[in-house]
Amino acid sequence: MTQEHPSGANEQELRERLDKVSQALDKKRSEAETGRRGDEAEAGSMGQTSKAMALGFRIISELAAGVIVGALLGWQLDEWTGMQPLFLIIFLMLGTAAGFWNMVKLGMGTKKPPVI
Amino acid sequence: MAAESEAGIDPIHQFIISPIAQVGPLTLTNSALFMLVVLAVVTFVMIIGTSSRALVPGRLQSLGEIAYEFVASTVKGSAGQEGMRFFPLVFTLFMFVLASNLVGLIPYTFTVTSHIIITFALAALVISTVLIYGFYRHGFHFLNLFVPSGVSPVLLPLLVMIEVISFVSRPISLSVRLFANMLAGHITLKVFGGFVTMLAAAGGWVLLAPLPFAMTVALTALELLVAVLQAYVFAILTCVYLNDALHPGH
Repeated sequence: MTQEHPSGANEQELRERLDKVSQALDKKRSEAETGRRGDEAEAGSMGQTSKAMALGFRIISELAAGVIVGALLGWQLDEWTGMQPLFLIIFLMLGTAAGFWNMVKLGMGTKKPPVI
Repeated sequence: MAAESEAGIDPIHQFIISPIAQVGPLTLTNSALFMLVVLAVVTFVMIIGTSSRALVPGRLQSLGEIAYEFVASTVKGSAGQEGMRFFPLVFTLFMFVLASNLVGLIPYTFTVTSHIIITFALAALVISTVLIYGFYRHGFHFLNLFVPSGVSPVLLPLLVMIEVISFVSRPISLSVRLFANMLAGHITLKVFGGFVTMLAAAGGWVLLAPLPFAMTVALTALELLVAVLQAYVFAILTCVYLNDALHPGH
């Protein structure tokens, strides 16, 4: 009994200490995590302006490429089928739509694109 | 890039490809020469930089480590951990584009990436990797990439067409973006450099010559930013497209 009592107290004390230590560890871990993430974000980003410029370059070239590809596809289909302006008009419209669609997808970022 | 007296003030002259040496059926052009220079620069930075393997990195080692960390975080960020299997491809593309953009900024050098055939070859490499790996990994399920989910069957054919066109436009936008930025930047620099000499040669107008000169300095700084930025955009878009090969379907 005399032995059990101190051991029980010890157990309680031990548990308290364990809880304290694990709390401290959790705190340290989350701090390290956010710290590392901050570092990574710093390493990954090249400043707000550069990021914005990169996005701008991407968006404008998506639009241009969509229109160009649509025009080229339509032109070539016209050459093959001999229906002179028909496919050019259709594919130019489709290409422009594709360019805008890509821009919308880019602009939405990681959010899900809108369902039509 | 500095206005050469011999070439006059023709801003396009810097992009002419001229043969330098002939070895059998192979011709070494200035473009090919500068590709070799770029390769030498990248190899130098990576091999010499990593050879010491110091715990506290020196300058070259820091350069190599920063490049590695930067590309690795870009790949992980946009293609996930699985995308790291394409890390060698992305890193090679990034370093090649970055080094050729930066080497091209040094006066009297040739900018390899200012020719669309080079950038288109790089973009075609990326897209064929996406196609081959996509079909290898997912078979015909890869075509789900073109079928947006949750769309009414009436609109589906139209949207599939649009998705196909937007896929086809990827190599075009990838190559045109890099090529056009490099071309336009170098022409602008040359034009403003030409203004300096033109004003200097025009008697009293020489007083105005510092204005375009200041512009040239500012534009050089901008071109430095654009050179790095375009390499970054090329790398990140490669990752985005490879992500489609890894996880097709919307």
